[in-house]
Amino acid sequence: MAVRTVKRIDEYRIELPQTYVPGMRVKGIIYLDEALERGLEEKAMIQVANVAMLPGIVGASLAMPDIHMGYGFAIGGVAAFSMEDGIISPGGVGYDINCGVRLLKSRLTRQAVAPALRRLLDILFTEIPSGVGSKGKLRLGRQELEKVMTGGALWAAGEGMGSARDLERIESGGRMEGADPSLVSVKAHERGSAQIGSLGSGNHFLEIQYVDEIYDEEGARRLGLHRDQVTVMIHTGSRGFGHQVCTDYLEVMERAIRKYGIELPDRELACAPVNSPEAQDYLRAMRAAANYAWANRQAIMHWTRQAFMKTMGMGPEDLGMEMVYDVAHNIAKIEEHVVNGKKVKLAVHRKGATRAFAPGHPELPEAYRQTGQPVLVPGDMGRASFVLLGTRRAMDETWGSTCHGAGRVLSRHEAIRRARGRSIYRELEDMGIIVISAGRETLAEEMSEAYKDISNVVDVVHGAGISKKVARLRPMGVVKG
Amino acid sequence: MNYEALDVSGDAGIRARGRSPEEAFAAAATGMYSLITDLAGVQEKKSIEVSAEADSLEGLLVGFLNELVFHFDAYGFIGRRVEIARLGSGQVRAVVHGEEFDRSRHRPGLLIKAATYHGLKIENAGGLWDAEVIFDI
Repeated sequence: MAVRTVKRIDEYRIELPQTYVPGMRVKGIIYLDEALERGLEEKAMIQVANVAMLPGIVGASLAMPDIHMGYGFAIGGVAAFSMEDGIISPGGVGYDINCGVRLLKSRLTRQAVAPALRRLLDILFTEIPSGVGSKGKLRLGRQELEKVMTGGALWAAGEGMGSARDLERIESGGRMEGADPSLVSVKAHERGSAQIGSLGSGNHFLEIQYVDEIYDEEGARRLGLHRDQVTVMIHTGSRGFGHQVCTDYLEVMERAIRKYGIELPDRELACAPVNSPEAQDYLRAMRAAANYAWANRQAIMHWTRQAFMKTMGMGPEDLGMEMVYDVAHNIAKIEEHVVNGKKVKLAVHRKGATRAFAPGHPELPEAYRQTGQPVLVPGDMGRASFVLLGTRRAMDETWGSTCHGAGRVLSRHEAIRRARGRSIYRELEDMGIIVISAGRETLAEEMSEAYKDISNVVDVVHGAGISKKVARLRPMGVVKG
Repeated sequence: MNYEALDVSGDAGIRARGRSPEEAFAAAATGMYSLITDLAGVQEKKSIEVSAEADSLEGLLVGFLNELVFHFDAYGFIGRRVEIARLGSGQVRAVVHGEEFDRSRHRPGLLIKAATYHGLKIENAGGLWDAEVIFDI
């Protein structure tokens, strides 16, 4: 029988014991303080428990403080599976494969950019298509698209969109090995051929920001961040290309669960044994989509740099628009972690969670070997975003993972209802934030009230020690889908 | 209208109704299009044929809607009237009448990534078929 009692471990963690839902193979742990726990949906908790029922799960079924109900897996969920008897699940990655965040720094101050802000946003809005029914500037044929799938950000750099220096500051170097274009459907090709360099819609955005608070002077110095400095944040993913890969492989997994006799509490958890052809094919197609997303963010960054050059009348040297980092927050990866004192390979799924590797990790670029991995956490368009660093404790507790954003509190419908009769555009303008949006409804759906306060979310992961706060970024201008 | 929007945390859904599974499928498809744009502005200028295969009615509905998502996302086709030509024996075939989405004329609504199995329901009660589908936005 289910005993729906939750145990508080400490100020920042709660535990769902294995009795929470019968059949759990491991416990669930959610990173939350008491205030955020009050807003926790029971359905999201059940999803954390359901993931704990999947074959070969190792450690615990984890969720970050920005947890909310998703499909099968909760958003904010992290789960690692054994490479012998574990599974791979497309639902543990999500439809937007390698949705992620990229941060650029600059040599510009907030004061220097403010007078040009509106013009800058207009150019960005034109150059980087967003919203429903939008297409990017590029049209890629099959052969070119295959290069995107295997090359990722490297493909874009090879096309003149960026440099080798950018690539080393991207998770996985902006390119996952083991992508196989032959495992990607013609439909995904068709959806992907015109969407490189486009933002999409929903919660995706391009934001001009400034650094308004530093929490860790040394960390900020190493990342090249300082007060009043202008930064640009890009939040988007693999667009229709990745959505189609997920849709295609959910069908494959539907058949796989019958073939392998896997019993599931929820259809959206459809999965296959990690060593099965179905799981391996999905991983190879997923990597192709992940690479598409990195090429997409690279292209958008390139056009952002060009828009700044044009508007500010400055060259690349003076602008100094260098990469801070680029993270994936919807992805599955085979990673090495320590379990019971032994190094083992695990299939780590992060769905709405960010990798947060500790200082010294061999996968980090030279520049961040001593600081730990930069973690980029976007908030809603009226509040703030954060830069954090990965920690040793994240390696020990969460397979080197942390939160990915604010997490919704209002449904889209409820947000639109509350925005009725108000001008969200004007309200933001009064706060000194200019927003350009392709759709008026998107603006209402994405208003601050629709989200948890990002500061509370970040305080939990900082307090729990699974990442360390470095800087806070405030929005100045936002392009929304 | 034989469909209504469902309020789902973070995403959007449709509840569709018909006197037959065919009618419910057509209503679900029209309902999905109504989330993407205001259908009043969509004209019937061209038609496309789509089909999907699955071994359950639920699988067919999700597969069918995902075909329409594909045609919108890849080719910009937005429908306003849906005729189900065949539904059964593991297959659905339909003809959809509409036009190419035009950002200068069509109000942009939600960008649908996919139709999902989450909370998926098809029920027959008192001769009426009710279908509920949630979309990833």
